[in-house]
Amino acid sequence: MRKHILLLALLFSGFSLQAIQAQTTPAHALKNITIHNADGSVTESATIVWRDGVIEAVGKNVTIPFDAFEIDGGDSLHVYPGFIDGFSTWGSPEPPRNLPELDNPGDPPYDRAGIQPERKPSVLLTEDKTFEAGMKAGFTSAALYPNGYMLPGQVEVFYLAPAIESIGLLKENLALAGSFEPAPGGWGNGAYPSTMMGVMAQFRQVMFDATALQQHMKYYAQNPEMPAPKRDQVLEALFPLVNKTTPLYFEVDTKEHIERLLKLQDEFGFSAVVVSGKEAYAKSAELKRRNIPVLASIDFTEAPDWYTKMNKAEESDKEDEEESSEEMEEISEEEQSYRDKRIEAWKAEVTNIKKLMDAGVSVGYASAGLELKDLSKKLEILLDEGGLTESDAVKLMTSNTASILGLGNTLGTLTKGKNASFTVFDKAMSEDKAKVLHSISNGTIHEFEGN
Amino acid sequence: MKKLIILFVFVAFGFTAEAQEKGSVLIQNATVISITDGDLEDTDVLIRDGVIQEIGKDLRAPRGVETVDATGKYLMPGIIDAHSHLNGVDINEGRNVVTAEVTMEESVDPNDVGIYHALAGGATTIHLMHGSANVIGGQGETLKLRYGVSQEGMKFEDAPRTIKFALGENPTRVHGQGNGVQPRTRMGVEQVIRGHFDEALDYKRKREAYLSAKEQYDRRGRGTPPVPVAENLRFEVLNDIIEGEILVHCHSYRSDEILMLMRVFNDYGVENYTFQHANEAFKVAPELAKNGAHTSVFSDWWAYKFEVYYSTAYNASILNANGVINSINSDNNQLLRTLNHEASKVVRYGNTTVNDALKMITLHPAIQLGIDDRVGSIEEGKDGDVVVWSGHPFSIYSKAEMTFVDGKKYFDLENDPDDMRIQINPGTDFEDGSNYREIVSSRDEDACMQDAFILFQN
Amino acid sequence: MKKLNIFVFIAALLFGLTATAEAQITEKPEYGKFAITGATIHTVTNGTIEGGIILIDGEKIVQVGQNAKITPDYKQIDATGKHVYPGFIDSWTALGLVEVSAVAVTVDNRELGQFNPHMFAFTAFNPHSASVPVTRVSGVTTVLSHPSSGTIAGKAAVMDLWGYSPDSMAVKKSGALVMSLPSSGGGGWWDNRSEKEIKEQYERQIKAINDFIDKAHFYNQMMNAYEANSSGKTKPDFDPRMDAMREVLSGDVPIVISVNREKAILDAIEWIKSHENMNFVFEGVQEGWRVADEIAEAGIPVLTTTLYTPGRDYDNYKRPYENPGLMAEAGVKVAIVSNDTENSRNAPFEAGYAAAYGLGKEEAIKALTINPAEIFGVDHIIGSLEAGKQANLFISDGDPLEPMTNIEHVFIKGFKIPMTSRHTQLYDEFLNRDAVNE
Repeated sequence: MRKHILLLALLFSGFSLQAIQAQTTPAHALKNITIHNADGSVTESATIVWRDGVIEAVGKNVTIPFDAFEIDGGDSLHVYPGFIDGFSTWGSPEPPRNLPELDNPGDPPYDRAGIQPERKPSVLLTEDKTFEAGMKAGFTSAALYPNGYMLPGQVEVFYLAPAIESIGLLKENLALAGSFEPAPGGWGNGAYPSTMMGVMAQFRQVMFDATALQQHMKYYAQNPEMPAPKRDQVLEALFPLVNKTTPLYFEVDTKEHIERLLKLQDEFGFSAVVVSGKEAYAKSAELKRRNIPVLASIDFTEAPDWYTKMNKAEESDKEDEEESSEEMEEISEEEQSYRDKRIEAWKAEVTNIKKLMDAGVSVGYASAGLELKDLSKKLEILLDEGGLTESDAVKLMTSNTASILGLGNTLGTLTKGKNASFTVFDKAMSEDKAKVLHSISNGTIHEFEGN
Repeated sequence: MKKLIILFVFVAFGFTAEAQEKGSVLIQNATVISITDGDLEDTDVLIRDGVIQEIGKDLRAPRGVETVDATGKYLMPGIIDAHSHLNGVDINEGRNVVTAEVTMEESVDPNDVGIYHALAGGATTIHLMHGSANVIGGQGETLKLRYGVSQEGMKFEDAPRTIKFALGENPTRVHGQGNGVQPRTRMGVEQVIRGHFDEALDYKRKREAYLSAKEQYDRRGRGTPPVPVAENLRFEVLNDIIEGEILVHCHSYRSDEILMLMRVFNDYGVENYTFQHANEAFKVAPELAKNGAHTSVFSDWWAYKFEVYYSTAYNASILNANGVINSINSDNNQLLRTLNHEASKVVRYGNTTVNDALKMITLHPAIQLGIDDRVGSIEEGKDGDVVVWSGHPFSIYSKAEMTFVDGKKYFDLENDPDDMRIQINPGTDFEDGSNYREIVSSRDEDACMQDAFILFQN
Repeated sequence: MKKLNIFVFIAALLFGLTATAEAQITEKPEYGKFAITGATIHTVTNGTIEGGIILIDGEKIVQVGQNAKITPDYKQIDATGKHVYPGFIDSWTALGLVEVSAVAVTVDNRELGQFNPHMFAFTAFNPHSASVPVTRVSGVTTVLSHPSSGTIAGKAAVMDLWGYSPDSMAVKKSGALVMSLPSSGGGGWWDNRSEKEIKEQYERQIKAINDFIDKAHFYNQMMNAYEANSSGKTKPDFDPRMDAMREVLSGDVPIVISVNREKAILDAIEWIKSHENMNFVFEGVQEGWRVADEIAEAGIPVLTTTLYTPGRDYDNYKRPYENPGLMAEAGVKVAIVSNDTENSRNAPFEAGYAAAYGLGKEEAIKALTINPAEIFGVDHIIGSLEAGKQANLFISDGDPLEPMTNIEHVFIKGFKIPMTSRHTQLYDEFLNRDAVNE
């Protein structure tokens, strides 16, 4: 606990951790690198200079200050703005298993119902190998929330580092997290709400309860002679949502789930961000109208085997075409029609982000459960079939996400004045087996050897 | 905790997802089973923009309106099922004895291919209900089977609100036996209802007192402010029931529990209710008629539980003969698509006429759902929810050939392809078990206990 | 908690039983010589006779034809304008074995253990089940009532629905052996097992069955050898399970296997190849239409229904209705059943849907009469209207597959039964509940 307080104190005092650790290198310069910027532009033989966690200069023909420690990229290194995961449970403690039996499952304590909006990731942060893995995949920042159920806790943004003592809190009270997950415990030991309609009703009720408590606290503050309100950290954590001063980051995928979220938005007026949103394209007009951004998932279903085979066959020589078409199995009309529908659905799924972008919806990136080891595979699908170029994908995971998180002035692009968070690859990301050599997060250099 | 979310992708498949379309069609030369005005032979029915505009002979088709030659065929109003769980995402919020605050309106899956199966059986409107795990369950939602529209688009506009009650073995097993929470007996069931009604009335008093005191205090800005009483969704709904704004549909079997509920409702002034299943309703038909209570029953299910051991397939006929407005329902996805056949059995079991039996799947369920001004018969001014049958719907050899909802054709025996899915899982193979639907037979126990079966495994 | 439940249920049941006493059938049947005249007679095996005559003497039908000499000792039933059919046979039900499925003590068809070929449904069949009269007044006169648990559940019995003891009601005590075969295909999306787990479990289960059958073959052989010539041999111990298998191994008693999905059916057909001498029947067969040719080729008859929802998301809505017709078209012998207990009376309607969707009326009637009789080896007794067969028949005012048709008279084993059941008695009592005698 004390470490975290120290961290916060430093942040607010304007010092960066780096300042304490490395007084012998007031600034850094990385030269002879290729910079891939978020807007798609590529600058070769460039230099980037940063000091106290902020980019001092970037581009070609940059004068390197006298007190900057130089690193030569040898014209073989590629630098990308650090990726930002817009919604993730890295560093969250696992929800407890083997829950004790409840006397009255119909009226459980808040935590058993999954209603825990008071929880903050900065308080609960636990060691997690994912931090390092994330940085090795190119991430330098993440919006984290505690793993839970319908109202699992708050969303806060962090600068990443492999060890949690070095993780820096960038923004607290960013948002409240939400989902339609019913109460934990499963069949044997569950509680109310155990269904999605139950979650919706309970969401409303807990907002009503918070409204009444806030009103009571207001009255009591002016009139201490009246009965005192019963303080409740859970309900009080919902005040910003009741007062519409904090947005709700809601994890939903299907069209119908998104519609239900919009219904709650109509009732309570909070601003919202859709997280994951795999079918969000089906509601793109509505999302645009309401200014609801989407932190999109790229956890696509794998392409059907026969489709991949078919594509490989098409790519190979024409000579082989005859052979391969003979190899194509005989399938019934029923199965062929099934395949046609399936591939149509698959293409709709993988072009979700493109369609959202085309409709003018603000789209960023969230892992939303995607495991890092699958990231490159999914990016490949996004670029091959999803209609995005590599620079689109970079923009998605950097400046788009940064602006959705309200951190567009700090993160997302490599420009003067912004935070020094970027990743150094040994070759262009799109090339086979590109590796992360260094990750610079809030100015601190993290080296990865051997990956 | 992220559960594996199986993604199904909505494939537009030629339907307009958002727009709720109304159609026009002229159906010619059918034997029109009007329900309210007898069977009209060689008659035409003209539907314009979703409404039955004219019924008569040799009508002229307005320009652009498709015609259907129904010579030798029958035209019947779309079947209305007063008790269904067809496309509920969840059926039972079974964790509390009273869950009036939840609603099936928020549990609608508009993409289930079972909706199409029901259309193919001649059904056009269903009452999507909460299950029977709780004494007072969630609110229901009346839906038109507009396959291919959004969940919002399926709602039967302006249909009255409904709610599910359940008496007898189901709630006493789920809560009493399963959770050790009252009720464990039929005695307890009565007290759960009375107790919650009383609490709701107390809440109403206190909440209204608070709101008026708040309004005064906020206006004047002096004096002592009132202690806030939070809005309570559950009690608000219970008060709506007491005030007659919600139609009650009560799952019940035994005659004595049916009498109990009538007694309780008389005490609290609740007037509009339908007993669902009500296998023993025939034993108290005179009392039901006197109270203006309605019933919605199976045609011939019995003996699967003790509380239905002493029932009879003649239930519907007895009720009808005693002047009770009775309907035949399915509570089962297979029966839903053969409700014409279910209703035909009422003619066999008792002296019910063919038209009276037809009423039980058209006009009477419409009355019970408060939508009889819109559907339930073929009359000018009512909705264009009609079905063309190859023969009289009570013949086992008859097939539904076309089903229209709001004048738009949603089922066509001749022209529809085999695969009518609109929601495709991009991750499953043709032979994958994920394509398997849970097969529901006409013999499966009432679906009312779905999602809650495990709760009374003891 | 459990004990209390048992007491409650037993108490309820005892109360129920005493109450049942009032609801039992008190009218007596008629028995003797009957001449049914003027009806359309659907013999099933010898075509339809318009305005024909059926003569019944005691248990048997003595004559079926266009003309017959009717002596005065025959009671005449004028059936002009009516139809006569053989009593329907519902060949897959738990009627008589299960009274109230939700009340465990009344469920008598699920014995403990995996291999129980020696459990006889005949023994547990309750002749006084409230469902018996309810069923027979609808024209279903005979049922195959079956046990249902484990790998080999026991022997199903063919029972007539009139009588006061299983002995007097049994048409065939050993109607069929009931067996369940595992499938190498997975279940639906709710099946959590990995492919490897599915395969391993399948192989283990199949091996257990094969081992059991091997042991049964050995026992049979050994007993045959002993029975042929016992001199010099020590008598082997009697094994009731193995003994019960003997009539099955010879093919005299068929084995009914429940299979529904395509893969399960194909797996079963494959497995059956290595058990040639035994006789097999498939039950359920919901995806039979997909492999109708294979089933026909293997010569396996099927027991199936129609009133269930399509099994695959992309199946045409009418597949279940078409299924029997498609299989029959491919050459499969089809019997249509209720697969119900208290609503066995609905078997004709399952057949009606099959008739409407491709099977045709004539074949549908066969599926309720001669086909099940042949499948279970009782076609010399019942299944058609022929002189010499047992007098199981009914008189209806129309097509019995049509729900609005009334079944007017029913004969079982020559008894003209009272057309009353719990259902009709409750109707009589409650139609006009508050009426008083003047």
